[in-house]
Amino acid sequence: MKLFFKHIIIFALAFFIVEKGVWFILNETPKKQYDKRLELLIKGKINKDIIVLGSSRGAGNILAGQLEKETGLTAYNLSYQGSNVDFHKFILETLLKFNKAPQYVLLSIDNSSQFIKDESLNYREDAVLPLTKYNYINNELVNEKINSPLSYAFFLGRYNKFHSLFRDAFVNTRNPIDSFGSMGILKKNDVKLNYVEKTEKYNQNFEKASRIKAFKNIQKLCKLNNIKLVFVFSPSFYNFESSFYTRFKKLDESENGIFVYDSTNNIYRNQEYFYDKTHLFINGAKIFSTEISNFINTELSFNR
Amino acid sequence: MLFNSLDFAMFLPIVFVLYWFVAAKDLKYQNLLLVVASYVFYGWWDWRFLTLIAFSSILDYGIGLRLLHEENELKRKAFLWLSICVNIGFLGFFKYYNFFVENFIDAFSLFGTKISANTLHIILPVGISFYTFQTLSYSIDVYRRKLEPTKDVISFLAFVSFFPQLVAGPIERATNLLPQFYKKRQFHYSQAVDGCKQILWGLFKKIVIADNCAQYANTIFNNSDNYSGSTLVMGALFFTFQIYGDFSGYSDIAIGISRLFGFNLKQNFAFPYFSRDMAEFWRRWHISLSTWFRDYLYIPLGGSRGGTWMKVRNTFIIFLVSGFWHGANWTFIVWGLLNALYFLPLLLTKSNRNNLDVVAENANVPSVKEFLQMVLTFSLSVFAWIFFRAENVTQAFLYIKSIFQPSLIALPTIRPTNVIVLVIFFILLEWFGRRNQYAIETFFINKPRIVKWGFYMFIISLLFIFRAEEQQEFIYFQF
Repeated sequence: MKLFFKHIIIFALAFFIVEKGVWFILNETPKKQYDKRLELLIKGKINKDIIVLGSSRGAGNILAGQLEKETGLTAYNLSYQGSNVDFHKFILETLLKFNKAPQYVLLSIDNSSQFIKDESLNYREDAVLPLTKYNYINNELVNEKINSPLSYAFFLGRYNKFHSLFRDAFVNTRNPIDSFGSMGILKKNDVKLNYVEKTEKYNQNFEKASRIKAFKNIQKLCKLNNIKLVFVFSPSFYNFESSFYTRFKKLDESENGIFVYDSTNNIYRNQEYFYDKTHLFINGAKIFSTEISNFINTELSFNR
Repeated sequence: MLFNSLDFAMFLPIVFVLYWFVAAKDLKYQNLLLVVASYVFYGWWDWRFLTLIAFSSILDYGIGLRLLHEENELKRKAFLWLSICVNIGFLGFFKYYNFFVENFIDAFSLFGTKISANTLHIILPVGISFYTFQTLSYSIDVYRRKLEPTKDVISFLAFVSFFPQLVAGPIERATNLLPQFYKKRQFHYSQAVDGCKQILWGLFKKIVIADNCAQYANTIFNNSDNYSGSTLVMGALFFTFQIYGDFSGYSDIAIGISRLFGFNLKQNFAFPYFSRDMAEFWRRWHISLSTWFRDYLYIPLGGSRGGTWMKVRNTFIIFLVSGFWHGANWTFIVWGLLNALYFLPLLLTKSNRNNLDVVAENANVPSVKEFLQMVLTFSLSVFAWIFFRAENVTQAFLYIKSIFQPSLIALPTIRPTNVIVLVIFFILLEWFGRRNQYAIETFFINKPRIVKWGFYMFIISLLFIFRAEEQQEFIYFQF
């Protein structure tokens, strides 16, 4: 029995030491990533006045560099393509944990997809998983039940498929990340778009409780940290979804700002400014970003 | 409590230490500890299930004692039938009630009669099919006077509920396991180390092979309309390795844990995918169930003693019952029927006992003939698994129909390289370890400790690296 225990303990210790070699792989993986925004966030390097959160609409339609130029406030875009509101909440929490609180958070709204179970909007595991060397990220993954609690003790528990990719990540040329974190769309889509009048009503029954909860938590976090939260509704190549907007206003719990694009502006009915039905091309994004800057400037002058 | 959960990772060392250090002085305390640990283990799912297993155990314990003192054959038979009816009654109610009700309704509606009957929301107690068969074997063996009934109620409760094999087998015979509770267990270093190795191999089969294959098998089977013929073949192959890794992995863990506590359980899987015919496959797959049916159903029905017709009839009965044992769905019955059909030519040509040894016993590679035999047998079992995995018989037939289309020769759309490489690695290890009780039993056995430990560390690393994103419950829990 003694020998058995002795061998078990020595084996466990040996394994515990040997597996620490995995650290070198965990440490290399973030360096290979194209999108380094989350790592910058964890390192406390995003100390800006305006922060943009959202999915691809936020990433491509709101140009943080332009906001910076037009408002005089520093700005950075932390929108992730295909991300859902749970992920936006995580980004905001991370921002507040490691960086100074911004004056403004612009939360880009995905219209009728914001609260429902939409396959195209997810918790962006792929953005988080390469960074498991950071304890903060590992804690988050354990909470999300993606990593096992064993990962607290074993680096192998933090290992995932991203650590097995031994080449640098793909460089995005269609909408590269600029130095302000925005991802304006630079390459045109050849598909012909038709402007449509959507008539279907927003169905509240498809909403997910977790999404609503995350949305409300974003509002709470902003209030707690004295941040002005602005909900941004981007233009689409169809009419404004007013039935969703009615529902949305019920979930807006405080005096948050709501910014809706200028629906009377005819350029938002011109295909030249769109990449597809829900995403603006870079020229459209510039016009839309100016609208947001004007909104912030008005806000600022009102508060002075 | 799943074997591959953190709960169990904490539970096992606690029970192990209490067993060998606190309760080791007295056999009764050791057995009592096993009963308590087993009931905690089982109650972890749902404490209400405990009443069922406790009732079943007490009933069969009592019947065993009555059979000991009863000389009147008629009364002895009545006691046996009481045990059979109560045990099978529980099983039938929890597992098959809704199936029978729904099929009665369907059958009547075929003749234009509409009847209404209520189905019930019944939760199937985990492992009921396993412990029911285990306790039944006790009553039958006592009735046949093959086994002296036990007077030690604690040993009997421990035998029925022994946690390593309680929920998914191996289905142990009272003649093998019960006497082990009567003797004081001694700790043997080599037995404990062997147990750890078998647990490790079982975890590898479950976590690395079964759970990874399950992700792709589920995707393909759940959306079978959307995939090419070749992808559907991949889906069937993934399920083939999933079910083997899952079930034989569980058995390995169960046997390994038992060894840590000084018990020896029977081998439940003996590398069935290297079988040269279906008869050999069934001697190597879920051995404890196959032999249970052989001893308690096939032989009492007349076995092979009668003419050809008798043998064929009994074989079909065994396979159909075996299929039905797996679940209340026609898919399992068709699966059983299919296996009976595979068996039939071997039975008629009296070649069902041709391959009793290990394939290529004295060689590293099989002969061409052996290889072709293995490929054929493996293909037949893959085909049968389609019925086992499908939601219903219609889906199974549609799945098979969709395989045989021109896209069968196209490259499969789902071909995860990492999983395919892992499965090939697994097959190779199994091949080189096929003469053992489990594949890695003798790997590097005579090499320096650093080599052996390096190999075990490598396997543990694979458990971490290739853990599937979704942890799957053991398939056989539902049976």
